[in-house]
Amino acid sequence: MANRRINGRHLEKMLKNGLRNLVLHKEEVNRLNVFPVADGDTGTNMALTLRHGLSSAPSRNEVGAYLKPVSEGMLMGARGNSGVILSQLFKGMFTELSRCGWIGPGELRNALIRAYKTAYAAVVYPVEGTILTVAREGIEHIRAQIDRNTTIEAILSMYTAEMRKSLAFTPELLPALKEAGVIDSGAYGYILIFEGMLDQLYGKEHVVKKENEADAAPETAAASDTSLFNENSAFEEGYCTEFILQLMRSSEYDQHFDLKKFTSDLSLYGNSLVVAADGSRVKVHIHTKKPGRVIAAAQEYGEFVTFKLENMQLQHNEVLKTADENKKPLGIIAAVNGDGIAKTFSELGCDKIVVCGETMNASAEDFVKALSGINAKRVVILPNDKNVIMAAEQAARITGAENVTVLPSRSPAEGYYALAMDLPDSDDVERRVKLMNEGLQSTATLTESVAVRDFEHGDLKCRAGEEIVMLNGAPAASSTDWCDCIITALSQIPGIEDADSCVIFRGKDVSEEKEAILIQRISEVYPCLEATPIDGGQSVYHFIVGVSV
Amino acid sequence: MKNFIIMADGTCDLDKKVAAEYDVKIVPGHLVFPDKGDIPAFFDWEKVSRDQFYADLKKDPEGYSTSPANVEEFALAFEPYAAAGDDVLVMTISSGISGAFNFAGRAAEQVMKKYPQSKIEVVDSLRFGPGFGLMAIYASELRASGKTMEEVKAWLEENKNRFHQAGWLDDLSFVAKKGRLTHAKAFFGTLAGVKPIGEFDYNGLTTVLGKVKGAKKAYSVLLSYIEETIEDPGSQMIVIAQTNRLPQAEEYKKLLEEKFHPKKVVIRDVYPSCGINVGPGLMAAYYVGKPISQDLSVERAIIEKHAE
Repeated sequence: MANRRINGRHLEKMLKNGLRNLVLHKEEVNRLNVFPVADGDTGTNMALTLRHGLSSAPSRNEVGAYLKPVSEGMLMGARGNSGVILSQLFKGMFTELSRCGWIGPGELRNALIRAYKTAYAAVVYPVEGTILTVAREGIEHIRAQIDRNTTIEAILSMYTAEMRKSLAFTPELLPALKEAGVIDSGAYGYILIFEGMLDQLYGKEHVVKKENEADAAPETAAASDTSLFNENSAFEEGYCTEFILQLMRSSEYDQHFDLKKFTSDLSLYGNSLVVAADGSRVKVHIHTKKPGRVIAAAQEYGEFVTFKLENMQLQHNEVLKTADENKKPLGIIAAVNGDGIAKTFSELGCDKIVVCGETMNASAEDFVKALSGINAKRVVILPNDKNVIMAAEQAARITGAENVTVLPSRSPAEGYYALAMDLPDSDDVERRVKLMNEGLQSTATLTESVAVRDFEHGDLKCRAGEEIVMLNGAPAASSTDWCDCIITALSQIPGIEDADSCVIFRGKDVSEEKEAILIQRISEVYPCLEATPIDGGQSVYHFIVGVSV
Repeated sequence: MKNFIIMADGTCDLDKKVAAEYDVKIVPGHLVFPDKGDIPAFFDWEKVSRDQFYADLKKDPEGYSTSPANVEEFALAFEPYAAAGDDVLVMTISSGISGAFNFAGRAAEQVMKKYPQSKIEVVDSLRFGPGFGLMAIYASELRASGKTMEEVKAWLEENKNRFHQAGWLDDLSFVAKKGRLTHAKAFFGTLAGVKPIGEFDYNGLTTVLGKVKGAKKAYSVLLSYIEETIEDPGSQMIVIAQTNRLPQAEEYKKLLEEKFHPKKVVIRDVYPSCGINVGPGLMAAYYVGKPISQDLSVERAIIEKHAE
């Protein structure tokens, strides 16, 4: 069957198939990560981003109406650089299709063009040889061949084929890829999504086993501050009570359920009452101070399928509290991995910590949540990872707040020195932001971990299983001896001879003995360099060393 | 001309030798050590070495505390001199930090009631630690130059806001915890290599004016700061106080001598009654200069200018 038009429901099926195709190949995409460190998470991040968009969108016939929540959901759920760019690509498509009921060949062509243009515009320094190049060349090379008789299948076939060609060429554009002997992972993930969409049109539905689905992002419920309700609190607001009642057949229950009577009975106990019947189930929402009476009235007729009771005074007090408290002049949000690092950042004056999992980057939504929970006139975000910077910037854009500054800290060490330079006592907020920025600018970061595969970078060769140290994100030294490796990389820091202090974050499964050995070695080679050890508890990296230069 | 006694509470941190040299009588106050309980403040390293004390303190900062002499103790200190007919000028730690000024005042009233001929004047130094100690030395020198008690008191009231502190506090956790730092909004531990530059505020509380990365930069910023705030360095004695940062203090001394050619630069220890409150990271110079601005804005601007 050849399609010249697809509607919102078709598109939904296609996108879901695209997501499944990506999830099936996720590990493959992750392994393409350029640098040989086990933080390869491009596939995971892209899948999480797309899933976040799809799960927040109900089925709709009109393409524009369907894509709107998809696009918004992706912007919110974007994780990692690749996720942010993916969300921008979809934002572009949505912008083009927002008024469309269906997609024909011309609409699809324009949407794919708008997609890459939007993505380019969103990246401050677009890098060729990435998802951007592939998305651009994929459509630019075929746009002349599309007319109103071209089928959707034909367009997507050409599009994915062109992107595959472009993908094969990415190592020529991006030296880092060539050295690592890989193609660009984000671009590959993007192609997988469109290949899955095309497969759907050909009737090939991908199936994902449960375990692959299981890695969805853990939902972090925003816990209420229960201390806001205590023995002295006023209780005026009552409980928000919601339940679904199953009317029962047994003779224990009153069999004469009358919706009108039930509704008028309940209306005596509270307000904001909504009662809706669906077959033998009744859904009830009521604000009441006496939920016991509501429960008793309902149980005359049946039993509860679900039940939710919330103290609204608590929510009310929370609102009051937020409104009452004077805004802080400067709030600080930091993304961290590792309990010890989180603790250190809190002690250094961080107001909100966005906890990142092992390889799971913080999403734009995580930052949006953190931003909404912070009561400050001005906010600084420390992403502490180069792959999180864009998500933080996206969050700043989504909230539309002009008072949010993302200080582009690429490592916890940079974030640490930013906070160390902060002057919490000062009322001059701009000076504080400036000082923090200076703090991170003058920091060199070493990360030590085990290479997960063979790797070549300039003169540097490294086998899987060997120790590898990166200096500011670029491979600097590798060896079978971790300590030698760090010392070698230290020597490459410009101005190391004059440096007089460094901070060392010890990883999760690293012993204190190893830390003592490292500090001893550093003091032998650089007697003036004083090390401050911190039990960081981070994963992936055994040691993160920040040198202030 | 009538001679008079200069007395200061223990937070002026003058050891026996210096106190004897300038004839300043010390009212010691109290310390609490985790293993010994309440003990009288001491100003030597006979019972415990400096390094040992600061190492122990770092391990268990909560176990240590200080308290000023109470009214009774001040009265006991005044009484023999009052009985002998001597006037007493007593200087206390800043009233913004401790109750000693009030205690000494009440004790003075009691004793003067008992000995109506006696005269006891109390001066709120608005300082603590080495800055206060330097002020006591100035008082003593003024007395030696022939000034009366009233004249010395007037000079102190007029000039106490000119006593500066220019140095760094590596370990802000102590000042923050013990309340010696102005409204510390966040808890600070040691900041790897970052040196908070501290100065007294109007009430004698140590305030962080700015932060500088690395000791070298910190020395240069401090020297520039002193250059802009000091008056007549050639006729001054500059005191450097250090908790256990002796090598840095010696470096600082050398730099100060080269740049300002003061009469002399002396390095002093910080004994437990101050050390407990400032922790192990203090290294600062104390000198007399321009009056400190009410909100420290002038001083902050100087640090900002040189820290760039």
